[in-house]
Amino acid sequence: MIDEAKLAVLTDEELARHPFDELVVALQQTVQKLEAGSTGLEESIELYKQGLRLHAACETRLREAELTITELGRRGVTGAEAEG
Amino acid sequence: MAPESAEQPSLWDAAPADAEPVRAAPRILRVTDLNRRVRALLDNDPTLVDVWVEGEVSQPSFPPSGHCFFTLKDANSQIRAALFREELTRAAVRPEHGMNVIVHGRVRAYEPQGVYQLYVESITPAGAGDLHARYEALRSQLAAAGLFEDSRKRPIPRWPRRIGVVTSPVGAVWRDINNVLKRRYPLVELVLSPTVVQGATAAPAIVRALERLYAQEAIDTVILARGGGSLEDLWGFNDERVVKAVAASPVPIIVGVGHESDVTLADFAADLRAPTPSAAAELATPDATQLATILGRFRDRATTALIGRAADRRRFLEAEQRALVRLAPDIGAARQRTADLIDRGGRALDERLARRRASLDGTRDALRTLSPLATLERGYAIARRVDGRIVRDAAEVAAGEALQVVVARGTVDTRVEQARPHDDEELLR
Repeated sequence: MIDEAKLAVLTDEELARHPFDELVVALQQTVQKLEAGSTGLEESIELYKQGLRLHAACETRLREAELTITELGRRGVTGAEAEG
Repeated sequence: MAPESAEQPSLWDAAPADAEPVRAAPRILRVTDLNRRVRALLDNDPTLVDVWVEGEVSQPSFPPSGHCFFTLKDANSQIRAALFREELTRAAVRPEHGMNVIVHGRVRAYEPQGVYQLYVESITPAGAGDLHARYEALRSQLAAAGLFEDSRKRPIPRWPRRIGVVTSPVGAVWRDINNVLKRRYPLVELVLSPTVVQGATAAPAIVRALERLYAQEAIDTVILARGGGSLEDLWGFNDERVVKAVAASPVPIIVGVGHESDVTLADFAADLRAPTPSAAAELATPDATQLATILGRFRDRATTALIGRAADRRRFLEAEQRALVRLAPDIGAARQRTADLIDRGGRALDERLARRRASLDGTRDALRTLSPLATLERGYAIARRVDGRIVRDAAEVAAGEALQVVVARGTVDTRVEQARPHDDEELLR
């Protein structure tokens, strides 16, 4: 998971390589934290910046995503086949 | 399948290029060559290499090799059929004399004996009535075993990273799933576990393909899919082994078989039933085109929250400021009060001074009234005898006696001419 500490040390490029769902969850949590209103103004601004970074990373991932396809071994290639 | 057409090569057209002109001299073939030629002919026929045949099983034999040979016949005709060991073990039914079956396979020539026969890949009982009866029987049996319970259904992961797909690698289904996910959620990795999905061999192949996937790590969701077809075509998905393998999936599994109206027993055992393979792909993934909107909404919410936060702070500060103002000592008022006090003190002092002065003035006036000088000033005089005694009675002095008469300014030395008491008129004058 991406927490605040991790976010602080990651570059934008590194961030954009994270699994999409982690980015979305982190973004969601950041927004919820902001909305809770329990943070000070300084911290709120930091959270907002994080939110923007996460949003940008999500968009990058979406834009550059390409379907990956792996095909498991056909007959005889995997152990599971042999018993048939 | 391509229709039979004029392009279909005839026995003569297919003659080798180096053959001599047919009409010039008949060519003598060896038996082997003839059989080979017939075999090539059958192998090249697109219908015969992939054929479905319905007929009655006659006199099946099961030699020690494990294969099965039988005759498939109808009222007018018959053909030799071979069901090899591997296919036999996967077959939905074991051929029995008199059994009506549908077989799938290919027709080939067996050169050593100069016969052609049907090489069976799958064999299923013929007759929808039979299948329906078996379907219903198996359904109630598996339902009783609890395989279709709603309580077994797990939610489909919302953000899958790896989706395992069990289907035929050739054909529209795999292509459709690919297309849907390319458009909809290209962030996912598809892991294809290929299988045949049709015929009697389908069931064990599907089970193996599922198990291959189950052995993989980090698969979030499994999709088992195939296109539509008749009840016979879809029979593999009604196979008890397949249904149990679906129910045994370690991760949520979506089954999308055929078209909307096709419901197989595997559908019932799945965590989620999709009406079609494409729908299965859609149900397995979020829609990336909506994701952009959702993400944008997150950003907007963050912005709104921050602005709200700033406004909160401003309101807070303003409230604090007001509170401070309220709590601060009121210097102006204090100054006013002090001034008032000073004024009042001053006034009190003044009044006291004035009173004191008035009192002093009174005293002074009284003093002045009592002072002989003041009396003298008003025109009175004091008569003193030589020894200094003040004369208050005329009878005290004698004629000729010296008297000093003191007036306001100076002293007059006199001598008494006559002394007498005065009457009232004299005093009033």
